[in-house]
Amino acid sequence: MNDTAKSLKENLLSSFDDIQAEITDEQRLTILCKDDSVIPVLNFLNSSGYDHLALISCVDWIKDNELEVVYILNAYTEDREKGKMNILVKTKIAREKPELQTVTNIFENAEPYERELHELFGIHFKGHPGLTPLFLEREYEIPPFRKDFDTRKYVQEVFNGIPFVEDKKGKNERT
Amino acid sequence: MDRNKIGKWLRSPGKMGQKYSLHALYFCTGCGIIEIPPTITARWDAERFGVIPVATPRQANLFLVTGYVSLKTLRPIIRSYEQMPEPKYMVGFGSCPINGGMYWDSYNTIKHLDKYIAVDGWIAGCMPRPEAVFVAVTHLWTLIDKGMADGYKRYRENYRYYRENQEKILGKLEWPPLFSNV
Repeated sequence: MNDTAKSLKENLLSSFDDIQAEITDEQRLTILCKDDSVIPVLNFLNSSGYDHLALISCVDWIKDNELEVVYILNAYTEDREKGKMNILVKTKIAREKPELQTVTNIFENAEPYERELHELFGIHFKGHPGLTPLFLEREYEIPPFRKDFDTRKYVQEVFNGIPFVEDKKGKNERT
Repeated sequence: MDRNKIGKWLRSPGKMGQKYSLHALYFCTGCGIIEIPPTITARWDAERFGVIPVATPRQANLFLVTGYVSLKTLRPIIRSYEQMPEPKYMVGFGSCPINGGMYWDSYNTIKHLDKYIAVDGWIAGCMPRPEAVFVAVTHLWTLIDKGMADGYKRYRENYRYYRENQEKILGKLEWPPLFSNV
């Protein structure tokens, strides 16, 4: 456990009162916060040197009926201890009509990540410049990365429902 | 030149020409493309078999689909295949285009490539070695000799059904039909 993580944790806990911060591993600081305090926390981390958003990820906790969005931050710095740090900012939102404020005005590279989460988990990011599909070609009733999306049933219905051309031709000739 | 083949050359020069000048379009889908650079360069040297990579589909007559085909790559695969001049041969490389392979229950990967495109042959394996490409090429020679590599003819005859299947999975296609029998 290093001093950088400790001092950052104390700084965070003293400036925000509704968050939990914990050093979960060597060089890893996990911050749990509510969905409306994500922007201030990220702003604080950005101004204290952690200015690289590495990834926005999401976990579907289907039993708790919650989606957990994880922002992973790094720092570009010459300070080796600080450069090794991974900051995880976690927030939980409801699974029905999940909404979050966009962070594109703090980290510009969040734009494709938010589009990805929008199409794979169905999270709506308020204030995002263009929430258009990123990877997927088809429309899905349930976003495909949610736990209640049944991939096998979907494959049975869509891909296996398409006949082979030889079968089709044979059927048409018979009738 | 092999003296035994003179008869063949005289009987059907067109077929022999097609056999020994396969211009391959290596479509970089999925992980299979990693086997292709050693195949076409000095280590295995595909030019011994008359296989040479070309830049665009309009110059090619052998189409290698290397690896899994997602819905988004199916669209350019169809477009490239339709641009190739006839006679053209389509070979699926790896187990994913055959039946989905390890993506058999994926939501965004097509399972059977031959539902959407006429395929002449398959190379099974995950991954096939570069030697398998040459086995496929020599096998394709015998198929061309016997007139069994007729994927492009099947595609033309059954174009209606292929187009139906393509539209079913991709929605509306933005290019006009290639043949008039739709």
